[in-house]
This record gives sequence, structure tokens and C-alpha cells, in this order.
Amino acid sequence: MNVAAFVVLAAMLTAYVMLDGYDLGVGAVHLWFSKTERGRAASFAAIKPFWNGNEVFLIAAGAALFALFPKVYAAAFSGFYLPFIIVLWLLMIRGMSIELRGYFTSDIWNGFWDVAFWLSSALLVLFFGVALGNIVRGVPLDTQGYFAGTFTFLLNGYALSVGALALTALSMNGATFLWMRLDPDLRPRAQTLMRALWPVVLLLFIGVTVETIAAHPIGAHVGLWIAPAVALAALIAVYASKRAGGALAASSAFLAALMASAAQTIFPFLLPAFRGGGLDIYNAAPNAYSVGTALTVTIIGVGAALCYGTIAAYRMMRA
Amino acid sequence: MCSARLGITVVKMQSALIADRIQFAFTIMFHYLFPIATMGLAPFVAYFTVKGIRNNDQTALRTAQFFGKIFALNFAAGVVTGIPMEFQFGTNWAGFSARAGSVVGQTLSMESVFAFFLESVFLGVFLYGRNRVTPGFYAACAVLIWIGSWLSGFFIVATNAWMQHPVGYVVTKSGTIELRNIGAVLLSSFAWWQYVHVLDGALLTGAFILAGIGAYYLLDRRHVDFAQGIVRAGVTVGIIASVIAIFPTGDRDSSDVTHFQPAKLAAMEGEFRSERGAPLAILGMPDTQHGVLIDPLYVPDLLSFLAYGNFRANVNGLSSYPSADRPPVDLTYYAYHIMVGLGSLFLAAMLAATVLLRRGRLFESRWMLWILMLAMPFPYIANEAGWTVAEVGRQPWIVYGLMRTSQGTSPTVVAGETIFTAIGFAGMYFLLGVVFLFLTLREIGHGPEQ
Ligand code: HDD
Ligand code: HEM
Ligand code: HEM
Repeated sequence: MNVAAFVVLAAMLTAYVMLDGYDLGVGAVHLWFSKTERGRAASFAAIKPFWNGNEVFLIAAGAALFALFPKVYAAAFSGFYLPFIIVLWLLMIRGMSIELRGYFTSDIWNGFWDVAFWLSSALLVLFFGVALGNIVRGVPLDTQGYFAGTFTFLLNGYALSVGALALTALSMNGATFLWMRLDPDLRPRAQTLMRALWPVVLLLFIGVTVETIAAHPIGAHVGLWIAPAVALAALIAVYASKRAGGALAASSAFLAALMASAAQTIFPFLLPAFRGGGLDIYNAAPNAYSVGTALTVTIIGVGAALCYGTIAAYRMMRA
Repeated sequence: MCSARLGITVVKMQSALIADRIQFAFTIMFHYLFPIATMGLAPFVAYFTVKGIRNNDQTALRTAQFFGKIFALNFAAGVVTGIPMEFQFGTNWAGFSARAGSVVGQTLSMESVFAFFLESVFLGVFLYGRNRVTPGFYAACAVLIWIGSWLSGFFIVATNAWMQHPVGYVVTKSGTIELRNIGAVLLSSFAWWQYVHVLDGALLTGAFILAGIGAYYLLDRRHVDFAQGIVRAGVTVGIIASVIAIFPTGDRDSSDVTHFQPAKLAAMEGEFRSERGAPLAILGMPDTQHGVLIDPLYVPDLLSFLAYGNFRANVNGLSSYPSADRPPVDLTYYAYHIMVGLGSLFLAAMLAATVLLRRGRLFESRWMLWILMLAMPFPYIANEAGWTVAEVGRQPWIVYGLMRTSQGTSPTVVAGETIFTAIGFAGMYFLLGVVFLFLTLREIGHGPEQ
């Protein structure tokens, strides 16, 4: 059951990356993508009805972590206090920029929120990537599982390269989304942008994968090659795809496979310590009844949300 | 030397505790401003949407659209300020989260998966899909948003109610507080009465918002049809909500406090010494140094009666609790008296408005319209005051009787960090508050679409 809890948590974070991934990506390329008011307004219009629902996956994943593994929630959030609060501020600024841009037809007002939207989206993606990199690499923990290192420890080469991969991969994802959703005359630009980002993503992906496998040898476990292989295939399909819908599906699969690779690397740990040990799915879990309750609630709630979310999105996009 | 070092450590922990409490109190009180309005307006938006679509009633539809916009502004601000709330349990209250997360994490997680998804998905359709979906689906969205916002209130109140009156848990050998019975947590009668009172406080606020905005247009002689409709709706709901705030819900909350948290009751009432036939203080200022009320206005024996149904019953005063178990008196006392005082005034105002409405004279009574318009901010004050009673009066416990607030903080976070982030939140919320007020007033200035 603790394994199931791990899988559900990883799946929720993956859903977050796939869904909020497109609106974060739209933000990360916002200033480069379009210099005209019409293009920028169109980018916002494409994500406005959906971004909040997507972001709820992050909130729900955080809350599920709280209920399933309270010790990890407590140790991780307080251990990385300042980076975490900065993430909260960036989420707030980003939310304000999406809601407030377009309220007036004023270049000053909209220009301000354009920059805020771009900066907060890009920084968030970078932060998430660096955080993921550090988790995969392991961080110094004390006996209670609280972070016992320094801030500079977190800025290592590996984590920064994961951050760069996250930023470019989501930018590419955002460009692909725009290619699919915008009016026909704006699409070529989005496609060009996507193709320009692609080689960078490929290089970073190969670099990060080699580094990861060097540190956590896969060896004989053939099954563990699946996720990286799917990621590579999906990435190639992004470039090869002639249609925007296909490219977006491939790009989402690429992101999901990346998350799966990260999850299988740290399993069964949730917060691995730098030189072995750490908080895992057994030592951080409360009693079985508590884990079972949280697991049931999460599966029912998220399952229902996926159903009605799909129905609602379908009805909205049909028009 | 050793004891001096220890002293410094204690001071350090104390200041971190104070910083954490200030940051939490500030951010939650700011966040709560927005859910009050969304929970209070959601039923009105749903009602007018359904009515408008079913009867093809254009005024009702315009009303729904207008309050839908106000709702959306509050919702956006609620989301932006809510996200920091969710994560602050981990960042600033790691001791509490690690120890009690097995219970409080459950209800918070239910709120995300059952309520937040529902609200955000269907609000997206409601705001941007007017012309993209069928009218029936559109009306369903309005109702689902209402359900979502009230569900959200339930789960968060259930979380808080458990901290006030823990049930359905076990304490393990290692000292953690873990879930044993989720049904007991969700069906706790303490939680349900607190929930009904909270919801009613929000509904009352929504009713005052409708009545107040309508009164403003009538005084300004604009949008008269529309304004009369919302004043009527606001006053009709407002009188009912004002009564329910006092009886049965407020009364029942007081008796729960009497039974489960007697030290809080003593602080709320400024009852320093135990006595039989305790009087109810209507007015008076607590002097905590000498343990008396200054310039009190008492109704003899009434507190004994209200608390225990018997005029001669004994009410325990603060002096009967060890000083380490007493909540701060001043804040609890004033907050309680502000809430109850305002609650009585709301009832009086709504009663007068209802009488005038029945006689068909409300829309000409400019003095009454002035009162309704100026009353708009006060339900917010009553709500915030009520939470101050509940939360400050709960001290020094973070989980009543089980865990002290001082044990709840994060071991790795020092005061300086929290002070820095609290200043950051203050700056951000100031900006947000200004923009929010500006946009809301602008919507009100525009009025409904023609
Ligand atoms: C417009 C809002 C409003 C009004 C008019 C009232 N209340 Fe209230 N009250 C609240 C809004 C509120 C609240 C904000 O919703 C609180 C905060 C925590 C809670 O459970 O509800 C609350 C808490 C609260 C508590 C503390 C519960 C606890 O500590 O757990 C008591 C004893 C009362 N109320 C009693 C009353 C009485 C006797 C009222 C008679 C006039 C009254 N309230 C009017
Ligand atoms: C319903 C969900 C709520 C939960 C789970 C909750 C939880 C908490 C926690 C963990 C603390 C910090 C520890 C402490 O000082 O006891 C706290 C303090 C506080 N909360 Fe709440 N709270 C909730 C709702 C509210 C609301 C809606 C308000 C006000 C609008 C509020 C006002 C306060 C205040 C003023 C404090 C500071 C108390 C003090 O420092 O003496 N709370 N609450
Ligand atoms: C410490 C306590 C609290 C936490 C952790 C919290 C958390 C949150 C979060 C994360 C959101 C954003 C949801 C989204 O993205 O859609 C939110 C919004 C909301 N919260 Fe809170 N909240 C707290 C206190 C309260 C209280 C006391 C109430 C009401 C009784 C409340 C009612 C709502 C509602 C109705 C919303 C939906 C947005 C809105 O209507 O403004 N919250 N909250």
C-alpha cells in the first residue's frame, strides 16, 4: 500500500507537469513568442480558462503528501524554507498576472503583467527543475530528516542541468501548445520556436540521463530502461510530428517519461539523503489506516476530477 | 554559563514562535476575506443564473453576470492567497505537521481533491464559456461552483474543529497523533455546528453585499430595477442569516466552548474568578494585571444561565487554571464582544429593513438605504473577530489538550527568516489588496450590463 501511495503521488506530480506544463511553458516563452499585442493577448486567452484547474494538481499533490507522509511534508517544506516561500510568491505573482492582464487596454498595464508572467513562469520552472535535481541527487539530512546543508550545496552542476532541462523542455511544450491552440496565422511562429528549442532539449536530455545513470547505475534491471527509452522516442516524435496535436501528445509523453525516470531513480525514498538513507515510504508513513484513507480519498477525488475536467474541457474546446 | 546558553535558546525559540504566529495570523486573516465573499455570493449567483435561464429572465441573468464578476475577483484573490496557506503548515509549523499531519492532512487533502478541482474547473466554464456551452450546462456550472465553495468551507472548518476538539485519533508510542477513525473526524458535532455558524457568517456577508450595493445604486438613482431586486434578495436572506448567527448556531458554539474549552469561555467573558451565579458582562474593559473588569455593565446571573441553563451554576474563572494553560484575555474578550455586538446590530438593521420592505417603503427610505450601504464592511469585521476568538482563545494549545503551540514550530526555521517572509507577504498583500479594491469598485461603478 505504501508503494501504491508512492505511485499515486508520482502520478499527481506528473499530471501537474503535463497539464500546468503547457501554461507554464506558454509563460516561459511569452516574451520571445510574440511582440504584438494580438499575439500576447491570444496566448493569455488560450490558457485563461484552464490554468487554475491545472494548478490545483500542485495543491492537491502537496496536500496528498501531507496526508500520506506527514514527516516528508514537514521536513521538506521547512527544510527548504526560503526557496519554498519564494516559489509561493512566484505562484502568487503568476496568478495575478494571468488574472489581471487584459483588464485595461493600456500598454503600461499589460506590458507590466507580460513581464511578470514571463519572469514568474520561467523562474518557477527553473526552481522546480533544480529542486527535482537535488531530490534525485540526495541532500544532507539530519536524523529527523530535516535539511542540514547549506544553500550553496543546492546549486550543484547536476541540479542546475536538470533545471535547464526543465526550462527548455517546458518552453518547447508551451510552444507546441500555442502551435495547436492559436489562430492559423500565429501558428507558424509557434512551430518555428518549438523547432528551435528542440535540439537544446535533446542535448540536455542526453546529458542529464547519462549523469543520472552514472550516479545510479541501472545495470541488469532491464525494466528500468523503459522510461528513458520512451522519453527519447517521444522526443523524436515531437520533432517528426506534422500535426500540432500529435506533437503536443508526444511532448506530454516526453515529460511524463522524464517524471517516471526520476521517480524510479529515487524509489523507495521520497527525500533521499546525500550519501544513502533518508525518508522513505516506510519510515515516513503513519499507520496503515491513515495511509489507506488518504490513498482512497485521493484516488476517488482525482479520478472524479479527471472525468469532469475532461468533460468540461471538451465542451469548451468543441466551440 | 550553561544555563545562560539555555536561556538564549529559549528566547530564540520564543521569537521564532511569535514570528510564526504573526505570519500565520496575518496571512490567514487576509485569505479569509475572500472566501467569506465567495461562499456568501455563490448561492446568489447560482440562484439568479438558474432563475434567469429557466424563466428567460433578463434582469436575473444580468444580476448573475454582475455578481459573477465580483465572485470571480474574490475567487482569484482567494486562490492567490490560499496557496500560501496550504503550504505554511509545512514551512512554519513542521512540528505540528509531522506530529498531527496524519489527521489534519486528511481533511486538507479532501478539500483539494473534492472542492478545489470542482470550483476551478466549473468557474473556468462559467466565466469563459457563456457562448460555448449549452444554457443547461451553464446553469449546472453555477450550481456546482456553489457546491464547491461550500464543500471547501466544510473541509477547512473540519480541520480547524479537530484542532479545537480532537476526536478519532490515537497517540502512538513515538508521540505522533494519528488517524484512527475518519468518520469521527468528519461527523464530529463540534465541526458541524462550527461549520453552520461559519457558513451563516458568510451568507450574512453575502446578503449585506447585495443589499449594500443595491442601496448604493438606489441612493445614486441608477439601475433602479436591478437595484431593487438585489436589495430585496439581500434583505430577505439577511434577516434569516442574522437570526441564525445568534440562534441556534452562535448559542450552540458557545455551549460547545463551555463544555470543551472552559478556559476559552472564561477569557471570552472576562471572567477572572470562579463564582456561582456569574453575571454576563455586556461592556467593560479587562484589566489583566488586577484580574478585574473596569467599568463593567453586568446582567446578574445571566452567564451562569447561558452556559449551564441554571442561574446559580458555577462558572470557572481564569484563576482556576494554571497560568501556563490560560489564553490571552484581552484579544479574546474584545474580539468576542465585537462579534456579538455587531451580530446584535445586524439583526436590528435587518429587522428594520424587513419591516420597511414588507410595507413597501424600503426603496424610498433613504436613511435605511444609507445604513445598508455603510453596513457592508461590518460583517467582515464580525467574521474576522469570530476567528480571533476561536484561534486566540484556543491558545496555548495548537491541538487542544494534546499539543502546545510552542511545540508546533519548525525546528530549522529561525525568527529572522520568518520576519523576512512576513514582510514579503505584507508587501505582496498590500499590492494585491489595492488592485483588488480598485477593480471591485470599478465593477460596482460600471454597474450591470444593459
Ligand atoms: C457575521 C458573522 C458572525 C456573527 C454575526 C456572529 N458570529 Fe460567531 N463566529 C463567526 C461569525 C459570526 C465566525 C467567523 O464564523 C466564527 C469564527 C470561528 C467559527 O467557528 O466561526 C465565529 C465563532 C464563534 C464562537 C467561537 C467558536 C469556537 O471558539 O470554536 C462563538 C462562541 C460564537 N461565534 C458565538 C456567536 C454568538 C453568540 C453570536 C451572537 C450574536 C455570534 N457568534 C455572531
Ligand atoms: C479553518 C482552518 C484553520 C486552520 C486549520 C487554522 C490553523 C491555525 C494554526 C496552525 C495556527 C498557528 C498556531 C497557533 O497560534 O495556534 C493558527 C493561528 C491563528 N489563526 Fe487559525 N486556522 C484556521 C482558520 C483561521 C481563520 C479563518 C482565521 C481568521 C480569519 C484564523 C486566525 C488565526 C489567528 C489570529 C491565529 C493566531 C493565534 C495566536 O497567535 O494567538 N484561523 N491557526
Ligand atoms: C489554514 C487554513 C486554510 C488553507 C490551508 C486554505 C487553502 C486554500 C487554497 C490552497 C485555496 C486555493 C484553491 C484553488 O486554487 O482553487 C483556497 C481557496 C479557498 N479557501 Fe481557503 N484555506 C484556508 C482557510 C480557509 C477558510 C477558513 C475558509 C472558509 C471557511 C476557506 C475557504 C476557501 C474557499 C471557499 C476557497 C476557494 C477560493 C475562494 O472561494 O476564494 N479557506 N484556500
